[in-house]
Amino acid sequence: MVTEPLAPDALTPWPDTVQWRPVSPKLITVELIARAIWVAVLLTGLGVGWFFAPHWAWGAGMAAVVVYAIWRSIITVRAVRAWGYAERDQDLLVRHGLLIRRLSIVPYARMQFVDVTAGPLERAFGLATVQLHTASAASDARVPGLPPAEASRLRDRLTALGEDRAEGL
Amino acid sequence: MTEAQPPDEARRRLHPLSPILHGAKSIAVVVAALSWQTLNEVGLERFAIVVLVLALGVVIFSLVGWLTTGYHVVGRELRISDGLIWRRNRAIPLERLQAVELRRPLLAQLTGLAELRLEVVGGGKTEAPLAYLTVRDAAALRERLLALAGRTPVAEAQAGAGARAAATSAPTLEHPLLRVQNRDLVISQLLTPQAIFLPLGIAFVIMQFVLEAQWTFIGIASTVTAMAGVLLQPVRRVLQDWDFRLARDPGGRLVVRYGLLETRSQVVPLNRVQSIGATWPLLWRGHKWLHLRLDIAGYAGEPGGDSKRSDRLLPVGEFTTARALVWDVLPGVDLATLATSPPPARARWLHPFALRYLGAGLTPEVFVSRWGLLTRELSLVPYARLQSVRVVQGPLQRRLGLATVYADTAGGRAGQARDRDLAEAWALAEQLAVRARLARA
Repeated sequence: MVTEPLAPDALTPWPDTVQWRPVSPKLITVELIARAIWVAVLLTGLGVGWFFAPHWAWGAGMAAVVVYAIWRSIITVRAVRAWGYAERDQDLLVRHGLLIRRLSIVPYARMQFVDVTAGPLERAFGLATVQLHTASAASDARVPGLPPAEASRLRDRLTALGEDRAEGL
Repeated sequence: MTEAQPPDEARRRLHPLSPILHGAKSIAVVVAALSWQTLNEVGLERFAIVVLVLALGVVIFSLVGWLTTGYHVVGRELRISDGLIWRRNRAIPLERLQAVELRRPLLAQLTGLAELRLEVVGGGKTEAPLAYLTVRDAAALRERLLALAGRTPVAEAQAGAGARAAATSAPTLEHPLLRVQNRDLVISQLLTPQAIFLPLGIAFVIMQFVLEAQWTFIGIASTVTAMAGVLLQPVRRVLQDWDFRLARDPGGRLVVRYGLLETRSQVVPLNRVQSIGATWPLLWRGHKWLHLRLDIAGYAGEPGGDSKRSDRLLPVGEFTTARALVWDVLPGVDLATLATSPPPARARWLHPFALRYLGAGLTPEVFVSRWGLLTRELSLVPYARLQSVRVVQGPLQRRLGLATVYADTAGGRAGQARDRDLAEAWALAEQLAVRARLARA
């Protein structure tokens, strides 16, 4: 486990040359609400089951759901803080994940198209997700939790840089 | 077409026999679906009538399809329109063309026709199979499409009309590279786990029958079906890779021909090769054989996955052959001198046996990675074809201070340097990004 801040970490390589930008902390709220909705649905289902076929297993299931939800919520706070992206001259860097840490380096020249999406919950909090697609399905360059202005700035920058260096394949 | 456009050429139809060929395929399916049981129930006469009516319907349907399908080349696009009720016009930009394949299923071989398939990136499946054309038309169209695809707009302006005349005078001299002996192919497919374990399976089944003395029809039928299922892959490989030939055409493109029942001939421009994979299966080691795989972007999404695909570069061959081939496809890459370094010794916690065979390395042209204890594999990714680089660290790797670096390609298979030391992984990722940028420039 990493304890000291300067310990080697797959999430933050090249600390001196890369300026990491965080995603909006509002994403924590969005993710928590989304999880709360799921938990409510699950609990209702289990509760209905308990009502019609009383058995202690239903209660145990509910307890398990609650415990799992709380554990995931604690993780979420840290996971959102772990998201980050950086724009370099030639490529976009995206890092995320706590348990499995991932860092993607996607050159602008390889961009096929950019997606900007915002679900109802994200919209309510004024957030959007930008995703850069390349010809490879494995490429993983998704940045959630961006304010709309930043999202459109990033989209425009990505498309502009992609056109500049257009090659695709 | 009613739009104002250069009167490039008229829309052309597919060959008039194509509806019948399409129909024949559907009729076979219909008959199979009706099965013997129906035949027994309704009697031969009625069965024949049903089949006839269905056949007629299918042929009419195909005929309508044929009448409404047309294709033509406009500028640097191939346009295909089809559909009676849902009209569809597709424009395929030829600069995005990855490979062109000429396929001749059995029926098409009997009638002298061929199907032309274009591979473009993005579509989940092969875009625009033009089925069917006469072989000569198909070959000429292929030449023309490839000539258009290979040219940059600037060069096109210079080349002008002369290129078309050159393109249509199709069969030019090819420089043969390789021919795989069918004997080797059959032996290599007999040396697969499926074929090796077949005698054991048969012996086991016979033993059971002898001991239990029960020869029920269901038992035999299911056994035979299971055997056929197991043998399907090697048999299909043999049929598919039969008479495998490889050549270079005058434009430097790779021409691959193979197949017994369905012959295929495929033209791949060399700059469309996304990666090359070499595999040394355990059972082939006695012969020191390996096979080489060529990844092209368009095929990544092809359904059926691995089993239906052919080993497009070399189904089976010796090391020296493979070495020469790789040198041909990726100039400057010598299979014999690819240096890779192993991951640090502490990675043995994750790979107790296979650690020796893991490795990754950067040569001036390609990213090399190898892995596999029993079946050894090697993957070569040219820097110019890199799509993105990923560094991934799982929880166990974090404890050991290791990380895996992936080099993604459009072909779907990523080169991967597994379990490198973390600092080395960063350096590797940085190097890959830099080299990819330099190679693109």
